[in-house]
Amino acid sequence: MKTKIIIDTDPGVDDALTILLALASPQIQLEALTTAHGNIGIEKTTRNALAVLEFAKAAHIPVARGCSLPLVSPLNKSGDVVHGSSGIGKADLPEPKSKPVSQHAIDYLIERILAEPQEITLFAIGPLTNLALAIRKEPRIAQALKGLVIMGGAIRSGGNITPLAEFNIHADPHAAHVVFHSEIPITLIPLDVTYKCLLTTADVKRLNRIDSPVSRFIRDATIPYMEFYKKYEGFDGCALHDPLTLATIIAPELLTLEEHYVDVDISGGISAGNTFADFMKVSKKPANMKVALDVRGRDFVELFLERMESLA
Amino acid sequence: MTKHILLDTDPGIDDSLAILLALASPEISLEGLSVVHGNSSAAQGTINALSVLELAKASHIPVYKGCDLPLVQPSLLAPETHGEQGIGYAKLPEPQTKPQVQHGSDFLIERIVSASEKITLVCIGPLTNVALAIRQEPRIVEKVAEVFIMGGAIRHEGNTTPLAEFNTFVDPHAAHIVFHSGMPITLTPLDVTYQCIFLPDDLNRLVKIDAPITRFIADATRFYMEFHDEYQKIQGCVINDPLTLALTFMPELCDYQDLYVDVDLSGGVSMGNTFADFYHMTGKPANMRGALGVRPRDFMELFLERMEKLAKSLS
Repeated sequence: MKTKIIIDTDPGVDDALTILLALASPQIQLEALTTAHGNIGIEKTTRNALAVLEFAKAAHIPVARGCSLPLVSPLNKSGDVVHGSSGIGKADLPEPKSKPVSQHAIDYLIERILAEPQEITLFAIGPLTNLALAIRKEPRIAQALKGLVIMGGAIRSGGNITPLAEFNIHADPHAAHVVFHSEIPITLIPLDVTYKCLLTTADVKRLNRIDSPVSRFIRDATIPYMEFYKKYEGFDGCALHDPLTLATIIAPELLTLEEHYVDVDISGGISAGNTFADFMKVSKKPANMKVALDVRGRDFVELFLERMESLA
Repeated sequence: MTKHILLDTDPGIDDSLAILLALASPEISLEGLSVVHGNSSAAQGTINALSVLELAKASHIPVYKGCDLPLVQPSLLAPETHGEQGIGYAKLPEPQTKPQVQHGSDFLIERIVSASEKITLVCIGPLTNVALAIRQEPRIVEKVAEVFIMGGAIRHEGNTTPLAEFNTFVDPHAAHIVFHSGMPITLTPLDVTYQCIFLPDDLNRLVKIDAPITRFIADATRFYMEFHDEYQKIQGCVINDPLTLALTFMPELCDYQDLYVDVDLSGGVSMGNTFADFYHMTGKPANMRGALGVRPRDFMELFLERMEKLAKSLS
């Protein structure tokens, strides 16, 4: 049985790789994409979502355009440093011919989730604005979702946008607060595990032994991403943050999950967007999610490469 | 020229009075109600909105149920102020009409975006529906002609915390979104509404007309007056929401100042506090027009005359 998924995404280099990995994974049936502001503005993330689907010959998969602004925080505009001014590095995909559906991502999510109760697993790999507003507009989706996998947060890990906060959560901490406390069954994939899944320059070279559009796309898309990691974080390679969420379906044995009560700081001080787990149960609150705290990172990167090679 | 009004409301005793004032005012055309959590749950508020419209023989006006929870904060309703049903001691029959299928936020979006005429949005509850609509369809910010908001306490103390007014305290994040949206806002804070007290004598004058409308007002406000007496030592009750509605067609009731107004979201004791930058400390341009002075008896006279007329026309 294939798992039906919708990806709420802000492509984004690693978002684009996630879309490709979903399409290349026989366990997954990609039902739709909804787009969010995040790595780059909503115009470009929506364009990139359509362009990546067309590039992968999957233009039949619908794309619904979502929110252009976070709930309360100002729009983060730093993503182009990591993802390039187009949002997908130096990759040059043709202008997509397909268009997003007319429905807003909020309403699209509500309609699709309610139409198939307990069937859809949502992968949220950008800021959580669309989902938060969908929950407030139609609370029944919390019960109807089969599951929700979020790329976001930094539990014991340092942050990648402030010393404490991870980018997706920091980009809309209030939306994360809504989602974390929604009672949707959540699996969180934080920086604690994504930084253990590094796609290296050697990996990209290996992929490019197959001369194909897919391998060239991955090479071109990851150029500024790699440069960013070298310059700011001092290592060779780039983290496969978003693709790792799909491990929950295609290779769950690689992840070590623990149940915890996780909250996010929305008080607006220097901890804004910090995600923390109540390991010692001092708050006495029940667990609200499963958190991935360890991963066999190299095994995941190998799996990613194999899938990309077969797609290429 | 008739004003086309969308009313976002959480009925609510004073909300009910605002609905009646809208129906009694020939200057405006009430196009529809979107209901939000606040004084009551969204479900109860929707029933109340429908019942009040039926009481006033105006059930042709559509009612849309909106959000039942604030964006981020936990739910906070006000049964001690408005009664378990939200309309004090008043008992209205189960409404015969049903709410529309469309969500309150979608109604606001659709009506504002598709309008060929100027639309006036009047918000007299927590701002959740409006904030959601702005984030889902940012174009409504440019399209809406004017926005009147009952909320906040600028120089005045709060009525829900020492600093915060109820509507902004219940969903401060939504207020933050709306205040910083660029919409042309007129704010009616407690600074002016607490000068407009509906006195026992005013009620006595109204009930000289024996009619369903005046009986409803008596039963609803009796509860509200008991609350004001017990908690705030006020003889009478503060009818915040009808004042906001009245400003749409009789702006001269208040004095205004262009202000930069913000709301505290930091989660401490100032949560939901609304404050104005009177001395331009932030260097930020005004984001709204705040009503800071009012001619309370002029307003009350208007309200009483309109209610008398409505009561007579429907009895």
